[in-house]
Amino acid sequence: MRAAGQMSAATATRPRRIEAAPFRQLLVRKGLPYALIAPALLVILGVLGYPLAMLVWLSTQHYGLRELFQHQGRFAGLSNYATILADPQFRYALEVTAIFTLVNVALSMIIATFIALLMERVSSFVRVLLGAGLVFVWATPVIPSIDLWQWMFDYEFGVVNWLLTRIGAGNYIHHNWFENPLQGFTVITVVVVWGAIPFLALMLHAGLTQVPRELVEAAQIDGARGWQVFQNVTFPTLKPLLLILLSLSTIWDFQVFNQVWVMLDQRPSQDYFVMSVFSFQESFRVSQYGLGSTAAVIMVAILAIASFFYVRQTVRSIEEFGR
Amino acid sequence: MNPRKLLFTAMGVAVALLVAACGSTTTASNPADQTGTLTVWLMNGSAPQSVVDGVNADFKAKYPNVTVNVEIQQWSDVTTKLDTAFAGSAPPDVMELGNTLVAKYAAAGALNDITSQKAGFENSGTWLQSLTDSCTYQGKLYCVPYYAGSRAIIYRKDMFDAAGVSVPTSMDELLSAGQKLMSKYGSNPNFSALYFPGKYWYAAAPFVWDFGGDIATQSGGKWTGALNSSASQQGLTELKTIVSQLSRADKTGDELKQDQAFAQGHIAMIIANGWEVGVITDPKSGDPSLASKLGAFPIPSHVAGQTAPVFLGGSDLGIAANSKHQDLAREWVKLLGGTKFQSQMVTVGGVIPNTTSLVSLSSGLPAIFAAAAKTSRFTPNSPNWANVESANVLQNMLVSIFTGKSSIADATSAASDKITQILNG
Repeated sequence: MRAAGQMSAATATRPRRIEAAPFRQLLVRKGLPYALIAPALLVILGVLGYPLAMLVWLSTQHYGLRELFQHQGRFAGLSNYATILADPQFRYALEVTAIFTLVNVALSMIIATFIALLMERVSSFVRVLLGAGLVFVWATPVIPSIDLWQWMFDYEFGVVNWLLTRIGAGNYIHHNWFENPLQGFTVITVVVVWGAIPFLALMLHAGLTQVPRELVEAAQIDGARGWQVFQNVTFPTLKPLLLILLSLSTIWDFQVFNQVWVMLDQRPSQDYFVMSVFSFQESFRVSQYGLGSTAAVIMVAILAIASFFYVRQTVRSIEEFGR
Repeated sequence: MNPRKLLFTAMGVAVALLVAACGSTTTASNPADQTGTLTVWLMNGSAPQSVVDGVNADFKAKYPNVTVNVEIQQWSDVTTKLDTAFAGSAPPDVMELGNTLVAKYAAAGALNDITSQKAGFENSGTWLQSLTDSCTYQGKLYCVPYYAGSRAIIYRKDMFDAAGVSVPTSMDELLSAGQKLMSKYGSNPNFSALYFPGKYWYAAAPFVWDFGGDIATQSGGKWTGALNSSASQQGLTELKTIVSQLSRADKTGDELKQDQAFAQGHIAMIIANGWEVGVITDPKSGDPSLASKLGAFPIPSHVAGQTAPVFLGGSDLGIAANSKHQDLAREWVKLLGGTKFQSQMVTVGGVIPNTTSLVSLSSGLPAIFAAAAKTSRFTPNSPNWANVESANVLQNMLVSIFTGKSSIADATSAASDKITQILNG
């Protein structure tokens, strides 16, 4: 009887709960993730969103030294954009940066893939040695390592000039590597690629260990040779990872700054103005913070495109493997 | 007297009393009771440590409870640091500013206007004219002259003797003396008769000025770049001949390491500031044994017997408009800019003092540099000049000329346009 009574009581309340439940469930189901993500979102907005909004705001201002000291800019609309897009120096920077990024991404990805494939095949002792070497390169702080490279390519005392002369590659005594921008950018490319390889190679090596052994063996039994195995088995498996690394490399190489700035003693000639250097020069050397910000906003916009592929690939990977 | 007038008079009296009261408390307050921290930025290589210590000791004697922090800054990145500091709420109270930088900061409102206190500074009546000019913006005084420096040629007397050349008295003689030195020592691939790094603008300017050229001219408030004038180009052509024949320095390098290079012993001449003698003979960074072998002479003019005009470099001492210790800052500046420590700057530091009344204290090599400063010139006194320096316009022009990347006509006309644009910006 008591049970029946409870039952009836429960039955009596049911209609109301049926009304409330979907809403509450909906709220919990839809709202909880947002509530949980809110703190992280707030931090990201504060750390990334606010500076970015400030940057965009600054790019619409006439903001020189006087304005900086008084914390009060003058609204200039889109005139900064018009000025900068008409500036031949900016167009040069844009072109140079695009070519530089293309070459550096290609070189670092190809060399890193070779190293990763090599690590697959060598004995575990050599693999550990190679891995340790890569980690050491990666762990070297950027500025000291650029200083070291600078010393090696020094005009007067550089070991590279000495060595090239010594092995009979020509007369490199007092050879200036930065007189001709093409040579200078080659040296900078060496430094950038050298610094980029460890991360890429280690990531790709980790990716390679995920290639199913049995697929490779099956392909080999079917008569596939080394390149065919790579093309038909290894590459498709690695593709998502390769795409992510490609986007990341593009972002890093596009905004390269330290290697140019430190290598050229903080006074690069205009031949070496990549986008980031151009932006820094306008802002902090010529005190045209509005123009500098405009250049930076354009950089961010271009990088957003590279990031789009990265994000899309990440989302796809989650959809594929996340379920 | 009607009530309204009475009220105004009363208010006026009250304000006057208040001002007087405030004024009297400041002057009457005991220096020993003043507390706080005074931050001073000096540049690397400007004042010898003993002079800084002396100033601080005298300051401490008067204000025992005030702490003075003297921080040494590097020339290469000082403008970025100054911009950041002035934009913040607590800039240094006193800062040394290169004389070409003052106009920029004065125009931006970063420096305290000290026009009314000028008489309170020792020797202010005999300050060097060109330094006082660099401190003056739109008729107001924004800093105190600190010291001046001019460039001359430092040479190795022993090498001159061995090559049988004497001190040149014209640019032609400079070239022929250098050629003799090159034929005597040139088999050493590192030897330079005159070591001239490609970006060394301040050593190139005398050649431009000597032929009657200039960096920019002003008329009716508008600047016009003048490096493409035929006189300027003539000077740069002369310089290019000298550099290509006598220098094996990096054509894209700057002058920051020229003293260390000179101290290594395979250079016969450099164009340098007086204080660089100290760097060359410094036991740590240089070679003390060179001291007796060094001589100096002013950069000769293309007109025999005359000397070329040189850039009068130097520094001034500014007080931040936002400083919370204006009075203390002025007291500190008065010490370093006053007779006692300026005399030490001459005798210990080897620089040209901020007042003509002390120039005679210099002797030996520094006296030659002080004499070279008699025909001196200054860069365009515009708040935008610092941007020409920051944008490396002149350095890039010189590099293009020396490396042969562009002709003198093309390089000077590009630089001139850029200078016109920046100065009028």
